[in-house]
Formats: sequence, C-alpha cells, structure tokens
Amino acid sequence: MSSRRALRRRDAVVRILLLFGALVGFLLPLLWTALASFGLLPDNAARPPSLKGPITLDHFLEIGVAEPTFWQELITSTGAAACATVVAIVCSFLAAFGLARSRFAGKPLLTEGFLVLASLPAMAYVIPLSDLMRRAHLADTFIGVVLTEAAVMAPLAVYVLHGALRQLSAEWEEAAVLDGAGLFRVLSEVVLPLSAPSVAATAIVLFVLAWNLLLVPLVLTSGEIKTVPVAMMDFFTFERELDWPTAAAALVVSLVPVAILGGIFHRVLERFTLDVGHTA
Amino acid sequence: MRLTRRDRLFLFAPLAVLLTGWLGLPALLGLFATFSTYSPFATSIHFAGLSNYLSVIEDRQFGAAVRNITIFTVVAVPLELAIGFGVAYLLRRPIRGRGLLRLLLLLPWLVSPIANGVMWHFLLVGAHSILDFAGGWLAQSSIVSPIGDARLALPTIIAVEIWREAPFVAFLLLPGLLAVPAELWEHATLDGASWIEQVFTVALPSLRPLLLAITMLLVGLSLGTFDSVLILTGGGPGSASVTPALYSYNQAFVINNWPAGAASAWLIALAVLGVGLFYINLAKRSVTR
Repeated sequence: MSSRRALRRRDAVVRILLLFGALVGFLLPLLWTALASFGLLPDNAARPPSLKGPITLDHFLEIGVAEPTFWQELITSTGAAACATVVAIVCSFLAAFGLARSRFAGKPLLTEGFLVLASLPAMAYVIPLSDLMRRAHLADTFIGVVLTEAAVMAPLAVYVLHGALRQLSAEWEEAAVLDGAGLFRVLSEVVLPLSAPSVAATAIVLFVLAWNLLLVPLVLTSGEIKTVPVAMMDFFTFERELDWPTAAAALVVSLVPVAILGGIFHRVLERFTLDVGHTA
Repeated sequence: MRLTRRDRLFLFAPLAVLLTGWLGLPALLGLFATFSTYSPFATSIHFAGLSNYLSVIEDRQFGAAVRNITIFTVVAVPLELAIGFGVAYLLRRPIRGRGLLRLLLLLPWLVSPIANGVMWHFLLVGAHSILDFAGGWLAQSSIVSPIGDARLALPTIIAVEIWREAPFVAFLLLPGLLAVPAELWEHATLDGASWIEQVFTVALPSLRPLLLAITMLLVGLSLGTFDSVLILTGGGPGSASVTPALYSYNQAFVINNWPAGAASAWLIALAVLGVGLFYINLAKRSVTR
C-alpha cells in the first residue's frame, strides 16, 4: 500500500513540475514583453547578460507619440468588437433556438455545416466582400466593419449556442406557453435566463475573436476607421520602424482589455463548451 | 415549444440576412468573378474560363505557398492538439489555484495574431532579443535570427502559431475532460491502468467528437494563416514561408492583380470545404455508432 502512496506522490510532483514548465513556456514571452514595456531591457553585450534599465512608464506615453491616434483606435476597436459581438450573439441566439426546437432531415448536416463555415478563413471571401462593400458605400464605415465582423463570427456562435440550448429541457417553455406566453416572452423570460452563462461565455470568446481580427478591418477600411490590429500592422510594415519598448507598451495595452475581461469573467468563461452535437 | 411559421421567420431571418449579405453573396459573386476578367478597376469584363485558376496554379510563388501550408498544417495541428490535451490533462484534477492557472494559460490566445507577430519579431531579432540573451548565458557570441534563414523561417512561424493556439485547445478540451464520468476513471484506476492507458482507454474515446470538431477548427485556421506571417517574415526569405492567404492578399491588395487574388482565395475555400465534407462524414459516423 505504501508503495502505491509513494507512486501517487511521485505523480503529483511530476504533475506540478509539468504545469510549472507549461506556465513558464507560455508566459515567459509575455513576461519579457511586459518587462520591456516598463523599461527593463536585456543587456546582451554584458557577460553574462542581464536585465537592466530604469523602470519607467514613459514608453506608454511614447505610444501616443509614435501613433498619435492610438488611443482613438483603442476606443474604435473596443466599440467595434462590442457591437459585432452583440449583433452576432443576437442573430445566433435566435437561430440556435430555432434550430434546437426544430426537427428536419438535414439538421445534423446543417449544424455541422455551421462548424465548417466557422472554420472557413475570412480570406476565402473577403476580397469580393471588400468590393461589394465599397459599392454599397459601407466601406470605411463603422457599421460596415461591425456587420462584417459579426458575420465572420456568427457561424461559431450558432454552433456553440445550439449545443447549449439543445440541452435545456423544454418543460419550462411548455409551462410558459400554457400560461399564454408568446415566443418573445418565452425567449426573454425562460430561455435566456436559463442559458445566460453559456450566452455570456460565448459573448466573451466572440469579443476576443473580434478584438483580434485583422484582415476584415484591414481590407474594409482605408484609414477612416482604424482598429488596434490594423494600426499595429501599419506601425510595423511602413516606414516607421518602432522601438521595442514602445512596441512592447502597445502590445501590453492591446492585451489589457481582453485580459481584464477574461479575469473578471473567468468563472463564466469556464462554461464555454463546444458541446458537440453528434454525441447525442 | 411548437414553432409557427411566423416564429421561424423571426428566429432565422436575422442570421440569414447577416450570413447571406456578408458571407454567402460575396463568396458566390466572387466565385463567378473568378471565371472572368473582372476587377473593380477593369473597364471591360469578359469571360475568362479557367485561365485565372491556371495562372495561379502555374505561379511558382503559389506552389511554394501550397507546399508551406501543407507542412504547416500537418505539423502544427497535431502538435497543438497534443500540447493542448497535455495541458488540459494536467488541469483535470483539482489543484489549488486552478481557476487562475486556466486563465494564465489562456493568455497567449488572447494576444492577437498580429501582436503575436510583432512580439516574436522583437523576441527573435535585434539587440534586445531573448535569443541573444539566452545565448549570452550559454557563452555564445550572437545567435542569427531564425526568421531570416530560409530553412528556419517556416519552422519558426509554426512554433509561434503553436504557442498561440495550444492554450486555446486546452481551454476547449478541459470542459470535455471534466465531463467524463468519474466512474470511468475509477474503473481504470482500480484495474491498475497506467496514466498512458487511461489517456487511451478513457480520455481519448470520450473526447473523440470534441477532438474532431476542434481539429476542424484548427485545420481551417491554419489553412488561412495570414497575420503572423505577414509581420514576422512577410513570406520570406524568398518564398520560404509564404502562405496561400498571404499570396491572395498580396495579389489582390498589393499588386492589384484582382483575378489572381480572388481565384487563389477560392482555392483556399475549396480546400477548407473539402476538409469540411470529410469532417461531416466522420461526425455522422459517430452518430450511427
């Protein structure tokens, strides 16, 4: 018996060591970046190399010098990602409920089709889309970016929300219907409250995806509406070669909103599951 | 509840409008346009048959892109799955601070692909690189940046992508692992199964549908690889790390060869839809079982 206990203890130690290794591997590059943004830079000429430099917040101010509109772009990015998330969630929630409460022959095919659609890279259709949007006078508009980002994310949202809504027992809805509730009341007073954690978790994931989109805002805009990823690409590909500490500060700032969101809602985020339809 | 026709209209119309207008319609119009000489700047348009596709396929740059993305997908997707599974498996049993650990281990995925490219550029190139720092400790004078080397550019891009996606895989897999009934683990433990046996007899069979779905997402994601390559190597040196998506982008938006851009983009779509059909087939089979 004692040998089994020793074995178990060994397993626990190995597990902690591996977790620590994973943590170092995944976080070291981010830590390096965070240190640089505060002015702690490596001195690679010294032997052995060391980190040094006065700790300062100046590099965060330099972002605004290198890219005068950066703070504006941060607001645009947040607004666009938030609006696109709301549009995608509303459309997907309604359709996912409809799908979960319908029965027809090709339904499994359609559901899995949404996952395939979610896997389709935006590059596959963004070239004609940019042309179409220009002709519809939606290029370089906030609403154009929002609707396109929503369309990019909606298939994944339908797939995930369908998985969540499918599992809700229909009893509560039936009871509400017997009480004379229409579809709208059933949705807002029964279905939404019961599925709120899944909907919130999906919304957070969509916000992160939208926040990080580059290609869509890049080809739909020509400078009027600029999101942070587009600005970052501009910084970098055009003549303005950035200092590492300033770039690091911009990286940290661009990560902060999603990290805060993740931090506040990490309990909710744990409810995000790709509940796969074909298990049932 | 029973849905009336009006209910259905209310439920499905918004999504249908969004997906038709902003995805289906452009994709189809784009498809038609690839069989013509259409471009937004063209003054006259005529039928071109398959010539746009032929010129893309004959382009050496595109050939290199297809080769690169094949290697990329074949290497990156299994490693992302394996590492993601490993991390999720380590987090399976409760440990103090698991919530915080989960969040910290998700951080790389929160970094946008473009920011990821910028970050790794500075980590690998220049006076402040982490490579030189590590090299200094190992008494190496200076390490040549791997992204300027034709043989190392693609492996570097792949590694950077794995670093960003593996945490997301872990995030998606952990709920699935936690949903595996406790009896299954107990039986395996009582049978004296080693952890490797437990992975193969308990974890992987229960996760099969989820793993399939995640694989589908990862394959699509990797076939569309664009942002990080654009920043890290720009496809270079030469065409050592160019990808089909970068090729389409350059054709359509940089050198204004619209037909070639649209045609090569459709080839990406075709590849993803092909994988999608294969996926749906596999998914269907696990229903009938």
